Amino acid sequence: MNALGIIFSDMQDWNLTELASHRSVAAIPFGGRYRLVDFTLSNMVNSGLNKMCIITKSNYRSLMEHVGSGKDWDLSRKKGGILIFPPYALGENHGLFQGRLDALKRVLHYISSSKEKYVILSDCDMIYNIDYKDVINYHVEKKADITAVYTKTNVDRENSIHKILYKTSDDGRANDILVYPITEGEHNVGLNTWVMNKDFLEMLIYDAIAHNYKDFSYDVLAAKVHTLKIFCYEYNGYYAHIDSLKSYYDNSMELLCKDKLNSLFYAKTGSIYTKTKDSPPTKYGNAADVKTSLIASGCIIEGTVENSIIFRGVKVGKNSVAKNSILMQHTTIGENAKLDSIITDTYATIKDDRILLGYSNCPFFIKRYSNI
Amino acid sequence: MISNKKECVVMLLAGGQGSRLGSLTSKIAKPSVPFGGKYRIIDFTLSNCVNSNLDTVGVLTQYQPLILNSYIGDGKPWDLDRLNGGINILPPYQKVDDSKWYTGTANAIYQNIDFIEEHDPEYVLILSGDHIYKMDYSLMINYHKEKGADCTISVINVPIKEASRFGILSSDSEGRIVDFEEKPSRPKSTNASMGIYVFNWSKLKKYLEIDDKNNKSSKDFGKDVIPLMLNSGEKIYSYEFKGYWKDVGTIDSLWQANMDLLSDGGFELSGDWVIYSRHMEKPPHFIGRTASVKNSIVSEGAEILGTVENSIIFSGVKVNENAIIKDSVIMADVIIDENTVVNYSIIDEFCEIGKNLKVGTPKEKNADITVIPRESKLLNL
Repeated sequence: MNALGIIFSDMQDWNLTELASHRSVAAIPFGGRYRLVDFTLSNMVNSGLNKMCIITKSNYRSLMEHVGSGKDWDLSRKKGGILIFPPYALGENHGLFQGRLDALKRVLHYISSSKEKYVILSDCDMIYNIDYKDVINYHVEKKADITAVYTKTNVDRENSIHKILYKTSDDGRANDILVYPITEGEHNVGLNTWVMNKDFLEMLIYDAIAHNYKDFSYDVLAAKVHTLKIFCYEYNGYYAHIDSLKSYYDNSMELLCKDKLNSLFYAKTGSIYTKTKDSPPTKYGNAADVKTSLIASGCIIEGTVENSIIFRGVKVGKNSVAKNSILMQHTTIGENAKLDSIITDTYATIKDDRILLGYSNCPFFIKRYSNI
Repeated sequence: MISNKKECVVMLLAGGQGSRLGSLTSKIAKPSVPFGGKYRIIDFTLSNCVNSNLDTVGVLTQYQPLILNSYIGDGKPWDLDRLNGGINILPPYQKVDDSKWYTGTANAIYQNIDFIEEHDPEYVLILSGDHIYKMDYSLMINYHKEKGADCTISVINVPIKEASRFGILSSDSEGRIVDFEEKPSRPKSTNASMGIYVFNWSKLKKYLEIDDKNNKSSKDFGKDVIPLMLNSGEKIYSYEFKGYWKDVGTIDSLWQANMDLLSDGGFELSGDWVIYSRHMEKPPHFIGRTASVKNSIVSEGAEILGTVENSIIFSGVKVNENAIIKDSVIMADVIIDENTVVNYSIIDEFCEIGKNLKVGTPKEKNADITVIPRESKLLNL
């Protein structure tokens, strides 16, 4: 497809202090074997894009390790493929970017030298399955300057401050854009995904340089809603916004409902790709008792697991019970331990006989490499 | 000229029909028969090669190669996509004169002398693609060098009652082989050939050429080439392998090797000696509220709502409510519908088993293993 993908790994990481303390938002593990970036990358690849980049900010080691050459997403290409842009330490444009426009300014050469006609901008904290071809068709049909993707959903006063809301007229054109408001009720909630003509994006960047604009949401979307043709494309499939530890937990637990699971992983847009790890299939012991759980490969389950998400390479020992929990890669649980409403980060070890309790609206988080 | 030289080239025999596996190999070659929840049999030899730092592998194909060809592809899953060497699929091809199918294991290598010569190797390692084991071939090659051998054959100790299924070797105290009999009715020892040979390439080439001119030869390593070399006084040594090794040439042995993954003293898939495979892009498997899974292996993308015991469940398998699977191997993308009971069976890929059915006879009754061929639809009418 004639479009360039630009993925932002960390545009909004202020709310994910636990999960993103040592990794970029894009590299947060989700759904048993994925990282958040997989959903955006897979959407782009499934829509036929073959050139894209990821703009990172800080702590991007695990993201770079995960993406590698891009071959797991079919992106190890002579033409196109994937590039990761870490920040520069010296020279013009050194240091961390201060907003989406500032970030784009730093990769202006990459954008200008690309031959694609359209550009798709996307963050990694939203999970959805979309065919960008439909968005681009809509964008062309509306002769829009910018097309924003949104879904109709309820927000509350706590999470609305992490969202961009679009108010539209009947033809789909935005007439008001609320950036991080305090509000509640049903709204057109942006998926932080925008389509533009590449030429138009370049013009926006030049304009931003001239006026020292840094922030795309305030300085372009909200400020220019009446002068630019900003159209809104409605999406109504699986949607999750990972904007806090609680939303991470709630959205993970929702995957245990089969309809949700199928709408994310078996959508008609295509498979979700991720880095292959070559772990063997999961082994269940004689005393294993597992109900309503999503279990990745390479695990050894000898205890009880209920209502939980178990990532690759997790061990649950004999007589141990894990309920309502998320156990990330290589978590090891000894014998006779009890866990309820716990999120363990990668490589955590819970020794024999430990009892750990969180609560469903306040899951307890255990840092990676912890030894309890 | 750019040097393509390799110390050792691997030739992997993957062209056999595997007729004793019945319907499991009616459409696919034996090395591509699925195994262990997410693998195909050939993964074990290919992974052993890579883990032994052998990066030049010729895969000799002939019988039903399509699935095998696309499975191997460019060899990337086994890290065998290399600038120099890597994986090469070698089917029989037309020549100026004398174009023919591979008529035996030795003939298959003979017809690919040019491929081997391209890499100008000191040694050639001959493997077959139908065994389940983890083995460091580099140790065997070192042994071969230490002994100054012309050929080294890997052997494993087998129970005496099974010995007549194998090539049986007798060697002296130094390990030098003094006698070799292919499938003897009265075996003289329990040292069975694993069908793994290291040859000095110059020697092997010489004997392949001699053997090719012999019209009475069946062009087989075990039956012809090894006895010929032995009778000519070449130095053939046996290399003892200790570890798990299973020939999965029959339905019973294939079932048993799958079950060995479940038992403590059996075969362990995890560990540092990674077995690589071409990956199905599937989410984690889902175990439902009504499910019970015990002593089993379950792969990605499966959905288990019923009961699974002592079984191997491949990726994408669906086991619906109140279905019971026992002592069985359920291959990829099989659907087992409600209230159906599967006992002591191997169900091949893409089968659909309807509701309220009984497949197979419980293992306790000592009946044969039931095999349901690929893409079968069994429905309760």
